[in-house]
Amino acid sequence: MVGMSVLRTAASFAARLNPLKRTCRSSNLLSRTVARSEQVVVRHGSHGKRMFVIKPTDFYDRRFLYLLRNYILLTGIPVAVLVTFVNVFVGESELAEIPEDYEPEHWEYYKHPITRWIARTFYDSPVKDYEKMMALIQIETEKAEMRHKQLEVRRHMREKGDGPWFQIQTLDKNLIDHSPKSSPDN
Amino acid sequence: MPEDHDKDVYPEPPRQTPVVDKQTVLPNPALILSKLFYYSVDVPVTTFRGIIEGIQGNKKSHYYHQKFRRVPELTQCQEGDYLCYYEAEMQWRRDYKVDQEIVKVVQERLRACQQREGPSYRQNCNKELKQFDEVSKAFQSRYGDLGAYASARKCLMKQKERMMAEAQKA
Repeated sequence: MVGMSVLRTAASFAARLNPLKRTCRSSNLLSRTVARSEQVVVRHGSHGKRMFVIKPTDFYDRRFLYLLRNYILLTGIPVAVLVTFVNVFVGESELAEIPEDYEPEHWEYYKHPITRWIARTFYDSPVKDYEKMMALIQIETEKAEMRHKQLEVRRHMREKGDGPWFQIQTLDKNLIDHSPKSSPDN
Repeated sequence: MPEDHDKDVYPEPPRQTPVVDKQTVLPNPALILSKLFYYSVDVPVTTFRGIIEGIQGNKKSHYYHQKFRRVPELTQCQEGDYLCYYEAEMQWRRDYKVDQEIVKVVQERLRACQQREGPSYRQNCNKELKQFDEVSKAFQSRYGDLGAYASARKCLMKQKERMMAEAQKA
Protein backbone atom coordinates (compact mmCIF):
# COMPACT_ATOMS: atom_id res chain seq x y z
CA MET A 1 0.00 0.00 0.00
CA VAL A 2 2.87 2.25 0.65
CA GLY A 3 4.19 1.23 -2.71
CA MET A 4 0.88 2.16 -4.28
CA SER A 5 0.99 5.66 -2.87
CA VAL A 6 4.60 6.02 -4.06
CA LEU A 7 3.57 4.94 -7.51
CA ARG A 8 0.63 7.29 -7.50
CA THR A 9 2.74 10.26 -6.51
CA ALA A 10 5.29 9.26 -9.11
CA ALA A 11 2.62 9.06 -11.79
CA SER A 12 1.15 12.43 -10.93
CA PHE A 13 4.65 13.92 -10.81
CA ALA A 14 5.43 12.40 -14.22
CA ALA A 15 2.19 13.73 -15.64
CA ARG A 16 2.99 17.20 -14.36
CA LEU A 17 6.52 17.04 -15.68
CA ASN A 18 5.54 16.26 -19.25
CA PRO A 19 1.90 17.09 -19.83
CA LEU A 20 2.20 16.66 -23.60
CA LYS A 21 3.47 13.13 -23.48
CA ARG A 22 0.62 11.51 -21.68
CA THR A 23 0.84 7.74 -21.65
CA CYS A 24 -2.52 7.40 -20.04
CA ARG A 25 -5.31 9.88 -20.61
CA SER A 26 -7.46 8.87 -17.74
CA SER A 27 -6.67 10.66 -14.57
CA ASN A 28 -8.15 8.06 -12.36
CA LEU A 29 -5.91 5.15 -13.28
CA LEU A 30 -3.83 5.26 -10.16
CA SER A 31 -5.98 7.48 -8.06
CA ARG A 32 -8.68 5.07 -6.82
CA THR A 33 -11.51 7.30 -7.91
CA VAL A 34 -14.53 6.23 -9.93
CA ALA A 35 -15.32 8.21 -13.00
CA ARG A 36 -18.81 9.53 -12.99
CA SER A 37 -20.44 8.90 -16.31
CA GLU A 38 -23.84 9.49 -17.81
CA GLN A 39 -24.50 5.81 -18.50
CA VAL A 40 -27.46 4.30 -16.70
CA VAL A 41 -29.23 0.89 -16.86
CA VAL A 42 -31.46 0.85 -19.93
CA ARG A 43 -34.30 -1.59 -20.60
CA HIS A 44 -33.68 -3.04 -24.06
CA GLY A 45 -36.39 -4.49 -26.28
CA SER A 46 -34.10 -7.45 -27.00
CA HIS A 47 -32.74 -10.19 -24.69
CA GLY A 48 -30.49 -7.74 -22.97
CA LYS A 49 -26.78 -7.51 -22.82
CA ARG A 50 -24.94 -10.78 -23.33
CA MET A 51 -23.34 -11.85 -20.08
CA PHE A 52 -20.47 -14.22 -19.50
CA VAL A 53 -21.98 -16.33 -16.73
CA ILE A 54 -19.35 -17.92 -14.55
CA LYS A 55 -20.37 -21.42 -13.40
CA PRO A 56 -18.54 -24.71 -12.78
CA THR A 57 -17.88 -26.89 -15.78
CA ASP A 58 -20.67 -29.11 -17.08
CA PHE A 59 -18.56 -30.38 -19.96
CA TYR A 60 -18.00 -33.80 -18.43
CA ASP A 61 -21.65 -34.25 -17.42
CA ARG A 62 -22.95 -33.26 -20.81
CA ARG A 63 -20.37 -35.43 -22.55
CA PHE A 64 -21.36 -38.41 -20.41
CA LEU A 65 -25.07 -37.98 -21.12
CA TYR A 66 -24.39 -37.46 -24.79
CA LEU A 67 -22.33 -40.64 -25.02
CA LEU A 68 -24.85 -42.57 -22.92
CA ARG A 69 -27.73 -41.58 -25.15
CA ASN A 70 -25.80 -42.36 -28.32
CA TYR A 71 -24.61 -45.77 -27.24
CA ILE A 72 -28.00 -46.81 -25.88
CA LEU A 73 -29.77 -45.76 -29.04
CA LEU A 74 -27.16 -47.43 -31.22
CA THR A 75 -28.65 -50.84 -30.47
CA GLY A 76 -31.89 -49.65 -28.90
CA ILE A 77 -33.36 -48.21 -32.07
CA PRO A 78 -32.71 -51.26 -34.29
CA VAL A 79 -34.12 -53.56 -31.62
CA ALA A 80 -37.21 -51.40 -31.18
CA VAL A 81 -37.75 -51.22 -34.95
CA LEU A 82 -37.30 -54.99 -35.28
CA VAL A 83 -39.75 -55.79 -32.50
CA THR A 84 -42.30 -53.32 -33.92
CA PHE A 85 -42.06 -54.84 -37.38
CA VAL A 86 -42.40 -58.36 -36.01
CA ASN A 87 -45.45 -57.41 -33.95
CA VAL A 88 -47.11 -55.56 -36.83
CA PHE A 89 -46.32 -57.80 -39.78
CA VAL A 90 -45.99 -61.27 -38.29
CA GLY A 91 -48.22 -61.10 -35.24
CA GLU A 92 -48.80 -63.45 -32.33
CA SER A 93 -50.16 -66.95 -32.65
CA GLU A 94 -53.64 -68.07 -31.68
CA LEU A 95 -54.50 -70.78 -29.20
CA ALA A 96 -55.88 -73.93 -30.78
CA GLU A 97 -56.70 -77.45 -29.74
CA ILE A 98 -54.11 -80.07 -30.64
CA PRO A 99 -55.43 -81.85 -33.73
CA GLU A 100 -55.74 -85.62 -33.71
CA ASP A 101 -52.60 -87.64 -34.48
CA TYR A 102 -50.48 -84.52 -34.56
CA GLU A 103 -47.43 -84.03 -32.39
CA PRO A 104 -46.65 -80.30 -32.25
CA GLU A 105 -43.00 -79.31 -32.50
CA HIS A 106 -41.54 -77.97 -29.27
CA TRP A 107 -41.60 -74.36 -30.51
CA GLU A 108 -45.28 -74.51 -31.29
CA TYR A 109 -46.06 -74.27 -27.59
CA TYR A 110 -45.15 -70.57 -27.43
CA LYS A 111 -47.17 -67.52 -28.44
CA HIS A 112 -44.87 -64.70 -29.53
CA PRO A 113 -43.05 -65.18 -32.87
CA ILE A 114 -39.67 -64.12 -31.49
CA THR A 115 -39.96 -66.63 -28.60
CA ARG A 116 -40.89 -69.28 -31.13
CA TRP A 117 -37.89 -68.43 -33.25
CA ILE A 118 -35.52 -68.57 -30.28
CA ALA A 119 -36.97 -71.91 -29.20
CA ARG A 120 -36.68 -73.24 -32.72
CA THR A 121 -33.16 -72.01 -33.49
CA PHE A 122 -31.21 -72.07 -30.24
CA TYR A 123 -32.90 -74.15 -27.57
CA ASP A 124 -33.23 -77.91 -27.35
CA SER A 125 -36.73 -79.19 -26.90
CA PRO A 126 -37.78 -79.67 -23.26
CA VAL A 127 -38.23 -83.38 -23.95
CA LYS A 128 -34.58 -83.58 -24.98
CA ASP A 129 -33.52 -81.68 -21.87
CA TYR A 130 -35.55 -84.05 -19.73
CA GLU A 131 -33.90 -87.04 -21.39
CA LYS A 132 -30.46 -85.49 -20.93
CA MET A 133 -31.12 -85.06 -17.23
CA MET A 134 -32.37 -88.65 -17.00
CA ALA A 135 -29.19 -89.86 -18.72
CA LEU A 136 -27.04 -87.98 -16.21
CA ILE A 137 -29.03 -89.44 -13.33
CA GLN A 138 -28.62 -92.93 -14.81
CA ILE A 139 -24.85 -92.49 -15.09
CA GLU A 140 -24.63 -91.26 -11.52
CA THR A 141 -26.78 -94.13 -10.26
CA GLU A 142 -24.54 -96.65 -11.96
CA LYS A 143 -21.45 -94.99 -10.51
CA ALA A 144 -22.92 -95.04 -7.02
CA GLU A 145 -23.87 -98.70 -7.42
CA MET A 146 -20.38 -99.62 -8.62
CA ARG A 147 -18.76 -97.84 -5.71
CA HIS A 148 -21.05 -99.48 -3.20
CA LYS A 149 -20.36 -102.91 -4.70
CA GLN A 150 -16.63 -102.33 -4.59
CA LEU A 151 -16.78 -101.52 -0.88
CA GLU A 152 -18.80 -104.68 -0.20
CA VAL A 153 -16.37 -106.82 -2.15
CA ARG A 154 -13.43 -105.32 -0.27
CA ARG A 155 -15.05 -106.16 3.01
CA HIS A 156 -15.73 -109.75 1.97
CA MET A 157 -12.28 -110.34 0.59
CA ARG A 158 -10.60 -108.92 3.65
CA GLU A 159 -12.72 -111.07 5.95
CA LYS A 160 -12.72 -114.34 4.14
CA GLY A 161 -9.37 -114.08 2.39
CA ASP A 162 -10.29 -116.44 -0.42
CA GLY A 163 -10.33 -113.88 -3.16
CA PRO A 164 -7.62 -112.32 -5.28
CA TRP A 165 -7.43 -109.10 -3.21
CA PHE A 166 -5.50 -108.71 0.04
CA GLN A 167 -3.08 -111.52 -0.81
CA ILE A 168 0.51 -110.95 0.37
CA GLN A 169 3.03 -112.79 -1.80
CA THR A 170 5.52 -114.98 0.12
CA LEU A 171 8.58 -116.86 -1.11
CA ASP A 172 8.33 -120.24 -2.74
CA LYS A 173 8.95 -123.13 -0.30
CA ASN A 174 11.35 -124.84 -2.71
CA LEU A 175 13.77 -121.95 -2.64
CA ILE A 176 14.55 -122.33 1.05
CA ASP A 177 17.97 -123.78 1.62
CA HIS A 178 17.60 -126.30 4.40
CA SER A 179 21.27 -127.37 4.36
CA PRO A 180 22.40 -125.29 7.41
CA LYS A 181 19.57 -126.79 9.40
CA SER A 182 19.98 -130.39 8.21
CA SER A 183 22.51 -131.37 10.91
CA PRO A 184 22.05 -130.16 14.47
CA ASP A 185 25.55 -129.42 15.56
CA ASN A 186 27.03 -127.80 12.50
CA MET B 1 -63.05 -60.93 -20.82
CA PRO B 2 -62.62 -63.06 -23.94
CA GLU B 3 -65.77 -63.73 -25.83
CA ASP B 4 -65.87 -67.45 -25.17
CA HIS B 5 -65.87 -67.29 -21.39
CA ASP B 6 -68.07 -69.65 -19.45
CA LYS B 7 -71.41 -67.91 -19.12
CA ASP B 8 -72.44 -69.98 -16.09
CA VAL B 9 -69.39 -69.17 -14.07
CA TYR B 10 -69.23 -65.46 -14.81
CA PRO B 11 -72.90 -64.68 -15.31
CA GLU B 12 -73.84 -61.26 -16.54
CA PRO B 13 -76.23 -59.39 -14.31
CA PRO B 14 -79.71 -58.67 -15.72
CA ARG B 15 -79.74 -55.50 -17.74
CA GLN B 16 -81.04 -52.59 -15.73
CA THR B 17 -80.93 -49.86 -18.36
CA PRO B 18 -83.54 -47.35 -17.24
CA VAL B 19 -85.90 -45.61 -19.62
CA VAL B 20 -84.47 -42.18 -20.37
CA ASP B 21 -86.79 -39.62 -18.80
CA LYS B 22 -85.00 -36.31 -19.03
CA GLN B 23 -86.65 -33.65 -16.98
CA THR B 24 -83.97 -30.96 -17.18
CA VAL B 25 -82.49 -28.97 -20.00
CA LEU B 26 -78.96 -29.43 -18.61
CA PRO B 27 -76.78 -31.97 -20.40
CA ASN B 28 -75.98 -35.26 -18.74
CA PRO B 29 -72.30 -35.24 -17.72
CA ALA B 30 -72.01 -39.01 -17.54
CA LEU B 31 -73.17 -39.27 -21.14
CA ILE B 32 -70.78 -36.55 -22.21
CA LEU B 33 -67.85 -38.22 -20.49
CA SER B 34 -68.65 -41.62 -21.88
CA LYS B 35 -68.95 -40.23 -25.39
CA LEU B 36 -65.69 -38.36 -24.91
CA PHE B 37 -63.92 -41.51 -23.78
CA TYR B 38 -65.40 -43.42 -26.67
CA TYR B 39 -64.29 -41.01 -29.33
CA SER B 40 -60.89 -40.16 -27.90
CA VAL B 41 -59.73 -43.61 -26.78
CA ASP B 42 -61.95 -46.43 -27.97
CA VAL B 43 -62.34 -45.53 -31.64
CA PRO B 44 -58.64 -44.83 -32.35
CA VAL B 45 -57.54 -47.99 -30.57
CA THR B 46 -60.07 -50.15 -32.41
CA THR B 47 -59.20 -48.69 -35.81
CA PHE B 48 -55.50 -49.17 -35.12
CA ARG B 49 -56.12 -52.79 -34.20
CA GLY B 50 -58.19 -53.24 -37.35
CA ILE B 51 -55.39 -51.80 -39.51
CA ILE B 52 -52.78 -54.06 -37.94
CA GLU B 53 -54.96 -57.13 -38.38
CA GLY B 54 -55.56 -56.14 -41.98
CA ILE B 55 -51.82 -55.98 -42.56
CA GLN B 56 -51.22 -59.32 -40.95
CA GLY B 57 -53.57 -61.20 -43.19
CA ASN B 58 -55.27 -64.49 -42.45
CA LYS B 59 -52.33 -66.88 -42.35
CA LYS B 60 -52.32 -67.34 -38.60
CA SER B 61 -49.98 -69.70 -36.80
CA HIS B 62 -51.21 -71.63 -33.77
CA TYR B 63 -49.85 -72.46 -30.39
CA TYR B 64 -50.98 -75.33 -28.19
CA HIS B 65 -51.11 -76.25 -24.55
CA GLN B 66 -48.82 -79.17 -23.81
CA LYS B 67 -50.36 -82.30 -22.37
CA PHE B 68 -48.18 -84.43 -20.10
CA ARG B 69 -48.56 -88.13 -19.40
CA ARG B 70 -49.01 -89.28 -15.82
CA VAL B 71 -46.03 -91.14 -14.37
CA PRO B 72 -45.78 -93.11 -11.10
CA GLU B 73 -45.71 -90.87 -8.05
CA LEU B 74 -43.12 -90.70 -5.30
CA THR B 75 -44.99 -93.24 -3.17
CA GLN B 76 -44.93 -95.76 -6.01
CA CYS B 77 -41.18 -95.57 -6.60
CA GLN B 78 -38.73 -98.19 -5.41
CA GLU B 79 -36.10 -97.01 -2.96
CA GLY B 80 -32.95 -95.94 -4.75
CA ASP B 81 -34.64 -95.64 -8.14
CA TYR B 82 -33.44 -92.11 -8.84
CA LEU B 83 -34.96 -91.98 -12.31
CA CYS B 84 -38.39 -92.66 -10.86
CA TYR B 85 -37.71 -90.00 -8.21
CA TYR B 86 -36.86 -87.45 -10.90
CA GLU B 87 -39.97 -88.13 -12.95
CA ALA B 88 -42.17 -88.00 -9.85
CA GLU B 89 -40.54 -84.74 -8.79
CA MET B 90 -41.17 -83.14 -12.19
CA GLN B 91 -44.77 -84.31 -12.14
CA TRP B 92 -45.23 -82.92 -8.63
CA ARG B 93 -43.84 -79.55 -9.73
CA ARG B 94 -46.27 -79.39 -12.66
CA ASP B 95 -49.13 -80.28 -10.34
CA TYR B 96 -48.00 -77.57 -7.89
CA LYS B 97 -48.16 -74.95 -10.67
CA VAL B 98 -51.57 -76.20 -11.77
CA ASP B 99 -52.87 -75.99 -8.20
CA GLN B 100 -51.59 -72.44 -7.87
CA GLU B 101 -53.47 -71.50 -11.02
CA ILE B 102 -56.61 -73.22 -9.74
CA VAL B 103 -56.49 -71.11 -6.58
CA LYS B 104 -56.03 -67.98 -8.70
CA VAL B 105 -59.05 -68.86 -10.87
CA VAL B 106 -61.26 -69.43 -7.83
CA GLN B 107 -60.09 -66.11 -6.37
CA GLU B 108 -60.92 -64.41 -9.66
CA ARG B 109 -64.43 -65.87 -9.60
CA LEU B 110 -64.99 -64.59 -6.08
CA ARG B 111 -63.73 -61.17 -7.04
CA ALA B 112 -65.99 -61.04 -10.10
CA CYS B 113 -68.94 -62.10 -7.97
CA GLN B 114 -68.24 -59.38 -5.43
CA GLN B 115 -67.94 -56.79 -8.18
CA ARG B 116 -71.23 -57.92 -9.68
CA GLU B 117 -73.29 -58.04 -6.51
CA GLY B 118 -71.99 -54.87 -4.97
CA PRO B 119 -72.74 -54.31 -1.26
CA SER B 120 -74.84 -57.43 -0.88
CA TYR B 121 -72.12 -59.87 -1.91
CA ARG B 122 -71.93 -61.65 1.42
CA GLN B 123 -75.32 -63.26 0.98
CA ASN B 124 -75.50 -63.54 -2.79
CA CYS B 125 -72.14 -65.16 -3.52
CA ASN B 126 -72.40 -68.06 -1.11
CA LYS B 127 -71.30 -70.70 -3.59
CA GLU B 128 -68.19 -68.82 -4.61
CA LEU B 129 -67.32 -68.02 -1.01
CA LYS B 130 -67.63 -71.63 0.07
CA GLN B 131 -65.64 -72.84 -2.92
CA PHE B 132 -62.87 -70.36 -2.25
CA ASP B 133 -62.81 -71.30 1.40
CA GLU B 134 -62.48 -75.02 0.64
CA VAL B 135 -59.90 -74.57 -2.07
CA SER B 136 -57.67 -72.25 -0.07
CA LYS B 137 -57.85 -74.46 3.02
CA ALA B 138 -56.93 -77.51 0.95
CA PHE B 139 -54.05 -75.68 -0.71
CA GLN B 140 -52.78 -74.46 2.64
CA SER B 141 -52.89 -77.90 4.17
CA ARG B 142 -51.14 -79.57 1.25
CA TYR B 143 -48.61 -77.00 0.02
CA GLY B 144 -48.80 -74.46 2.82
CA ASP B 145 -45.46 -73.78 4.49
CA LEU B 146 -43.19 -75.75 2.20
CA GLY B 147 -41.25 -72.62 1.27
CA ALA B 148 -39.27 -71.70 -1.82
CA TYR B 149 -37.30 -74.97 -2.02
CA ALA B 150 -40.42 -77.11 -1.96
CA SER B 151 -40.06 -80.59 -3.34
CA ALA B 152 -42.12 -83.73 -3.65
CA ARG B 153 -40.30 -85.33 -0.72
CA LYS B 154 -41.03 -82.41 1.60
CA CYS B 155 -44.68 -82.46 0.58
CA LEU B 156 -44.81 -86.19 1.29
CA MET B 157 -43.25 -85.67 4.70
CA LYS B 158 -45.77 -82.93 5.43
CA GLN B 159 -48.55 -85.33 4.49
CA LYS B 160 -47.06 -87.93 6.80
CA GLU B 161 -47.02 -85.42 9.68
CA ARG B 162 -50.62 -84.51 8.94
CA MET B 163 -51.69 -88.14 8.99
CA MET B 164 -49.79 -88.75 12.22
CA ALA B 165 -51.45 -85.73 13.83
CA GLU B 166 -54.85 -86.97 12.74
CA ALA B 167 -54.12 -90.47 14.03
CA GLN B 168 -53.05 -89.02 17.38
CA LYS B 169 -56.15 -86.93 17.65
CA ALA B 170 -58.36 -89.92 16.98
